[in-house]
This record gives sequence, structure tokens and C-alpha cells, in this order.
Amino acid sequence: MKKKVLSMFLGLSMIVSLAAGCSGGNASEDTPADAENTETAAEESSDGGSITLMVPDWAIPTEEQLAEFKEESGIEVVVNEVGWDDIRDKMVTAAAGGQAVADVVEVDWSWVGEFYAADWLEPLDVSDEVKADMPTMETFTKDGKVLAVPYANDYRLSYYNTKQYEDAGIKDEPQTWEEVYENCKTLKEKGVCDYPFALPLNAEEKTSTYLMWLAYTMNGVVFNDDGTLNRDSVLAALQYEEKLIKDELVDPADKTSSGMDAYKRILSGSANFLTGPTSFVSKSTNEEECSVIGQIMPILVPGKDAKATVTMALPEGLGVTKFSENKDAAKKFIKWYTSADMQENLNASNTAIPTLNSVLKKLIDDGTIKNAGAMMEEAELIVSPFPGGVPSYYAEMSNAMYNAINKMALGEMNAEEAYAEMETKVAELVKAE
Amino acid sequence: MKVLKKIGYIIALALFLTLTLGPFIWTFILSVTPEYAMMEKTSGLFPDMVIYDNYRELLTEGTQRGALLITGIKNALKAVGAALLIGIPVAMMSAYALSRMEFKGRKLIKNLLLITMIIPVMATIIPLFRLFVARQWLDDIFWLSIVYVSSYLPMATWLISNYFSTIPKELEEAALIDGCGRMASFLRIIVPSSYPIILSAALIMFLNTWSQFQIPLILASSLETKPVAIVVSEFMTKDSVQYGLTAAAGIIAVVPPAATALIFRRFLISGMMRGSVKG
Amino acid sequence: MKNKILPYLLLAPMILIMGVLVFYPIIATFSYSLKKWKLTAPADIRFVGLKNYAVVLTSESFWYSFRNTVFILAIVVVLTTVLGFLVSVLLNVNVKGAGILLAIAILPWALPPYVNGILWKFVFSSGYGFMNKVLIGLGLISQPVEWLGSRWSLLLLVSLVVTWRSIPFMALVCLAGRQSIPEGLYEAARIDGGNTGTIFRTITLPLMLPFLGIGITSASVTAINVFDEIIALSGYSDLGKNILVESYLTTFSFLDFGKGSAVTYLVMFFAGILGVFYLRSLNKEVEY
Repeated sequence: MKKKVLSMFLGLSMIVSLAAGCSGGNASEDTPADAENTETAAEESSDGGSITLMVPDWAIPTEEQLAEFKEESGIEVVVNEVGWDDIRDKMVTAAAGGQAVADVVEVDWSWVGEFYAADWLEPLDVSDEVKADMPTMETFTKDGKVLAVPYANDYRLSYYNTKQYEDAGIKDEPQTWEEVYENCKTLKEKGVCDYPFALPLNAEEKTSTYLMWLAYTMNGVVFNDDGTLNRDSVLAALQYEEKLIKDELVDPADKTSSGMDAYKRILSGSANFLTGPTSFVSKSTNEEECSVIGQIMPILVPGKDAKATVTMALPEGLGVTKFSENKDAAKKFIKWYTSADMQENLNASNTAIPTLNSVLKKLIDDGTIKNAGAMMEEAELIVSPFPGGVPSYYAEMSNAMYNAINKMALGEMNAEEAYAEMETKVAELVKAE
Repeated sequence: MKVLKKIGYIIALALFLTLTLGPFIWTFILSVTPEYAMMEKTSGLFPDMVIYDNYRELLTEGTQRGALLITGIKNALKAVGAALLIGIPVAMMSAYALSRMEFKGRKLIKNLLLITMIIPVMATIIPLFRLFVARQWLDDIFWLSIVYVSSYLPMATWLISNYFSTIPKELEEAALIDGCGRMASFLRIIVPSSYPIILSAALIMFLNTWSQFQIPLILASSLETKPVAIVVSEFMTKDSVQYGLTAAAGIIAVVPPAATALIFRRFLISGMMRGSVKG
Repeated sequence: MKNKILPYLLLAPMILIMGVLVFYPIIATFSYSLKKWKLTAPADIRFVGLKNYAVVLTSESFWYSFRNTVFILAIVVVLTTVLGFLVSVLLNVNVKGAGILLAIAILPWALPPYVNGILWKFVFSSGYGFMNKVLIGLGLISQPVEWLGSRWSLLLLVSLVVTWRSIPFMALVCLAGRQSIPEGLYEAARIDGGNTGTIFRTITLPLMLPFLGIGITSASVTAINVFDEIIALSGYSDLGKNILVESYLTTFSFLDFGKGSAVTYLVMFFAGILGVFYLRSLNKEVEY
């Protein structure tokens, strides 16, 4: 009996599958129809129409905001949320197939070089006024063409735990990297903090960028004009990191756990000093994330003889894909999305940090951004460390850098050897250009 | 001797349970630990404070993440369902032809099919993507599931054909003499007597398809089609590694296949069992 | 006449699916591997013959990853086979709740590989991971151990994690194999005076070989294609990368499709050698 029921079930499933096969056929017949629909949508785009937006979750506007945009412009925005790491993969696969993944896409600062070389982004028109107020724009500019407009700001800022300084009897905030080092030693000796310096050393992107801004804030330069590494500056930064590792001022766990985990040590008091993302300003006041609220102070990044005169930004922007069929609508969207009003809105809804300095200033002044410390002053020091813009081989260069640093951290190489390894690789990449 | 055996069994069992369940339990503990407490340098295994916020957030359809996860689970189930409805009948037809019929090219076809088991996704993904673009198959659960079918067809066909070859030829011959056609005898004799292997092949396909990551990422990562495995990975983003949330989502994502395995576990074994015994 | 067409008719859906979704892409990928095709140089795509293969095969980085792949493969296959077999013995004991045990044994299989990697990263994180907490708690170590900090310990961990996920399938096929051996055979052997060792060698092992064959094939395929776990445990670090990570980096990170396709093809070639080997053993059982 049971068998019979089962065989009936199986027979049925065969039939269903046949039907599915047929409906599959239908589906493929349907698709051209869909395509026609989207085409008509595209035609309509001259008077409104629809665009697709591919961004990570933190960049998605609220439904009210999108409805507002539609009312204003008649353009409907279809949101496609994709994880940040996966966006690049999707762009790459799609572009290799000659396709647009979306009309408007997330563009991280580090992708600019390769996307430009691969010719995937449509140059955008931006007024000089906006350019002047948006220092991170420089990072998204190649050969004078603006390839994306930054919407979320992120530049390096230093933080230290004031209570631990008091406990160790250190009076003033550090002005130079050497002072940071000395103070960390004091903190460790007095038993206030075992591993005071939060330093990403894992083989990942954050490890490369840390070295870049360390060298940059220490010596004002990272790359020579031809794109090769500046030996004196980068080697000095590497040796500084090596010194921190040797004196055990860095948590051994930082060598293999994710860079973000290394940063986050400051939120639990396990680290005292961090130079890291601007987002830690709000993290340091968030009860869910931070157990030492009120002790973390954002300060200007230290330099060689006094505070550094430059800082590096790692912003995210929005760009229009070359393969897009709705470029005008897409450009309108970006203009709206990065406008002063929207930046203020997005700060409230998505905690995005404004890229327009005027908006940033306003939010800090009216107390919307709490515990800002030196945030505003630092924002005015943003300058890109790449002489010719972000290079097209950035990914490969960064891979070589973080692997060399990681090997140094794990004791397989000393600073000179690690430097030699990355220098050779970078020189090779520059030459291949 | 008997006591020794029993003690040995208990020790082995304890070891097995610890090693299998341990990581799940640890993940669960993390999923109820507040974010900052994870970073603390203590040797205490349990947090001072237990929070179920992660689960609350993920299991409420109203929250953005909850909606994502639930849609992800539904999408994965849909893709698995479609893959099974198409894959199993196709595998059965192929297995029948390959195990019970003589024809030219049989061995070649079988070897070609089996060898595809070893092909990594990376080797096919770019051309597949271009094909999907050209045919407008992207972000479509039906076509996604056909790709799943293509990756598990060899294993399923192999298992089922092994089973078929254990069904006595005489049974089928009798039916043929009775005037049944080949197809009728397949449907009436072979199919009913092989439900254990069919269920076990289906379960194997389910478990393997459930955890697919790279294929759907490239071919169907829109909100309406992406499976739960992708959703979970997205909780670990560039600037916020939400361990607690990821852990909770991981635990939730294991429930559907685990429940299915629990219900159908009997067939998993009995289906494969007869595979190699001659009729 | 009709019967001559029938088998092909039955096979048609399978051939169609495999042809379009597997064989066609494989051939296409091969054609990419013969080109200079770098996405950052879209104007310079041309046929270069086997040059990509020559470049890859002479690079130190490829052979480093190759050795890592072989290491992972060896450990995973050996451990999965041995442990999977042992688990099947455990599951074969007829006790109350055996069904629940079986369901528990299946759990790791249901886990997406990426989640699996993260889960084990929680256990072996250098600072606050479970392992370190336990060992410190027991007083066995005073400083946290950097489990992921050296090449071989990292690779060993990757292998263990992959093994953990592949044991269930192996255990199941072994269990199926073990249960398909008629009890009568054992009784006869015992009457003939065979001891446990000889019975295992003359009955259990040979009759289970076909099952082990499919289990080992599956474990090898998994081991060669490990990707998510490595990324979850050590990111794109040089330390633990295998050929698949190398292929991903070349293709998707460095945007060199030509060279990346060549690396992928070499992975396949490597897997193919094993594949032929397995085909032989698989076919033996199928041809009665």
C-alpha cells in the first residue's frame, strides 16, 4: 500500500517535472516579453523611467527618501542590495560579459584605478563648488575625469583612551608617533593595558592601508611620482610597526584576526590607541558596541615632529556604469543622493558621514554627531597619497603589501625583507603598466 | 570483555557528540553574547549577560534583516525544490538507460558524466554567466536550479543506476512479455521498487544544494532570488563584522536541512544500501 | 527500431543539461586560457597560445599553492575515510536513539561551507577563541596560541575543518555499505573460526570497497575545491592559499582572465588525473 502511494507520488512528480519543463519553455518565452517591458521602461526614462541601484546595505536610501526622489524627478529606483565584497565580483563578471550589473553602482576608492582602466565607468559632471567642498573627490578622479561621487566619508582619525592615560599618569594627548610609542610602553609597564596599540596585521586590505597612512602621516609621502614605493618613508613605517610587534605592544591576535577586530579592541578597553575609521566616533558612543563609553577621545593623527599635516581618506562613492542604458537618469540620481540635504538625511537614517565638509561641520556644530573631537579639523587635512590617482593594479599591489606585512608580523621576515618584497612587486607592476 | 566494549562505546560516543555538536554549541553561545564581551580577554566561556536580540531581530519579518533572512530561506527552499523536481526524474531516466539498456556510446556517455563530478565551479562560471546574460536567465530561480541539477546529476545518476542494476532482470522481462512497453515497465516495475534510493538521492541533493554559495552569488544574487547562505555571509561586511548576528543566522540557516535530514534519515541509508549488492 | 532510439531519448534531458551548462562552459574557459585577456587592458585582448600556462607553471606562487592543495587533499582524504568509517561503526550499533545520532551526524553536512569556516574561526581565533579559553582555563597554556599563524598549522586546521564537513557523507556511505553485507556471511565466517581481523579483511573491507570508492571520490573533490573555509579562516593570505584561491585572486582580484582561466584549467587537469583513477574503480562495481 505504502509503496503504491509512493509510486503514485513519484509518477506525479515526473509529470510535474514535465510540466516544469514546459513552463521552463514558457519562461524563456516570457523573458523576451519582460525584456520588452524593460525596454519600454528605458524609453520612458527620458521622462522619468526607472534605474537600478546596486549598493551594500548601509547605502540604501529609505523608502520615503526614494518616494521623494520619484516625486521630484519621476524616476523610479530599483534597489539591488549586494554585500560590499561581492559587488566588485559582480561588476567584474558582468563587465567581462559586456553587461551592466546596474545603472548606479557602489565604487570603493580602491576600485577606481582598475574600473577606469577597464573603462566601466561613465565620467560625471561635478561643479567646481562641490569639488571644493568635497576633499575626497580627488580620490575618485583620474586624468581629470570624475568617475564617482563620494557619498560616505571615511578618513583616518586617531583615538585614545583618556582614562587609561590618567591611570598611567600620562598627561597630554600624543603629538607624534614616537610619543605614541613611548606612551604605549608606559601603559604596558604600568600594567594599565597589555596591548595598547591596535594594529591590523592579518593578510587583508586594512593591513596595507594602515601602512600607507602610517607612512603618509609620518613622512608626508608614500609613493614616488612614478608610482613606485618611497623607500625612506615606507621602510620607516614598516620599522615602526616591527618595533611595536617586537615590544609586544600589539596583541598577537591582531596578526591573524580580522582588521576590524583589531580596531574594535579599543571599544572594550583592550587597546588604548587606534588610528582608524571615522565610524569609530559614533561606535565609541554606542552602548551595544562599546563598554568604555566616555573614555575614547578622537584626536588629530600624530606625525613626525608634531601632528600630521595630511590624512588619507578611504571613501565610498557612487558611479554610473558605461553599459547603462539610463545614464541621464542615473546621473540625476547621484546628484540628488550626494546633495547637501540628502547627506544630512542619510546621516540621520544610515549614519553615513557626510562627504561635503559644510554638511559635516553643520552636523558637528549642532551636536548631531556626538563626541566628535578633532573630526572636523582632520577632515580639512584630507589629501590623496596617490600621485597619479589610484593605480589600476591597486588590488595586486595591496595583496603584495599585506602579505609582506603579515609575514613580518609572523616573524618570517624582518622589516627590510618585507620592504624588499613589496618594493620588487610594486616596481614590477609599475613597469607592466 | 562486554563491559570493556560498552565503556569503549560510551567514550567513542561522547567524543563523537562533543566534536560534532561542540562547534554548534559554541556558535550558539556567541550568538547570545553581547558584541563587546566577545573581545574581552577573559577565559570565561559564558558571557555575564545573555541577549537574544540577534534572534529577535532575525526572526521578526518586520525588521530589515529578518525579512532578508526569511526571504533567503524561502529562496533556498524554492531552488532546492525546483532542482529536485527536475533533477530526480532526469537522473532516473538517465540511470535507467545507463544501467539497463544496451546501446552505442553507453560507456562513453557514462564516463563523461562521471568525470564532470570533479569540475570546479570556477571553471565554468564565467561562460555560464555570459550565457545567462545572453538568454536573460539571470536572477531566475528556475534556471539557477537547473545549474544545481547539472552539478549533482552525475552523483545522483550514479547512485540510482547502481540501485537499478540490483533489481532482478526477470521482473522486468515478465512485464515485457505481458505486453508492457519499455516505458511502462520502467514506470510500473522499476520506479516503485526504488523509492529508497530516490529519496536518498533527493536528500543528498537537498543537502548539497542548500549550501550553495558561489553559483547563486554570480547568477542570482538579487533580493528576490538569493539563498540564505549568501544572506548569512552578508552579515559580515567590510566595516562591521557582526559575529553575534552571523552566528545566530548560521544557527537558523541549519534548521531546515537538519529537520529534513531528521525526518528522512531512514531512507538515506536504506537507499544507498542495495547499491552494490548483486540482485 | 524504437528500442534503439529509446535510450537516447531517455538520456536527452541529461545530455542537454550537461552539454549546455557544463561542457560548453568548459570549452569556452579553455579558449579564454589561450588569450591575453586582462580586464584593465580592454584594448589588448589577443591569442597567445600556451603562454599563460607557461607563465603559471614557472611561477613560484603557483607551486606553493599546489603544494598546499596536495597537503589538504592528503589529510582530508585520509582523515575523512578513517573517521567516517569509525563514525559509521558507531552509528551501526543498535541502540535506542540511533536515529537521533544519525541526524546529529548529518548536521555538519547541512552547513554552508562559508558558515562552517566562520564557525571554526570562532573556535580557533587567536585571542578570544574557544580553544584558547579552554586551554587557558585548564592551565595548559598561559598565552593564547596563534592557531592560524603558521603555514602548516593553518593548513592542518583547514583540512580538519573540511574533514569535519565531509565526514557525514563518508559515514553514511560506509553505513549503507556495512548494512548491505548479509549477516549470514559473518556467521559463516565465525563458524569457520575466523577472528575479527580476518573477518574484516576478507568480508567487510572487500564488500565495502565500492562504497568507500564513492566516498573517497566525493572527499577528494571537496578537498581540491576548498575555498570558502580558507577565506573564512585566513582571508586571501599567501600563507594558506590553495590553487583555487590562486585562481580566484588572479581572475577576480587581479582581473587577469586569461591567466586565471589557465590556473583553473590546471586545477581541473590535476583533478582529472584523480578522476580517471576513480572512474576505473567506480566502473568496476557498476559492470556486473
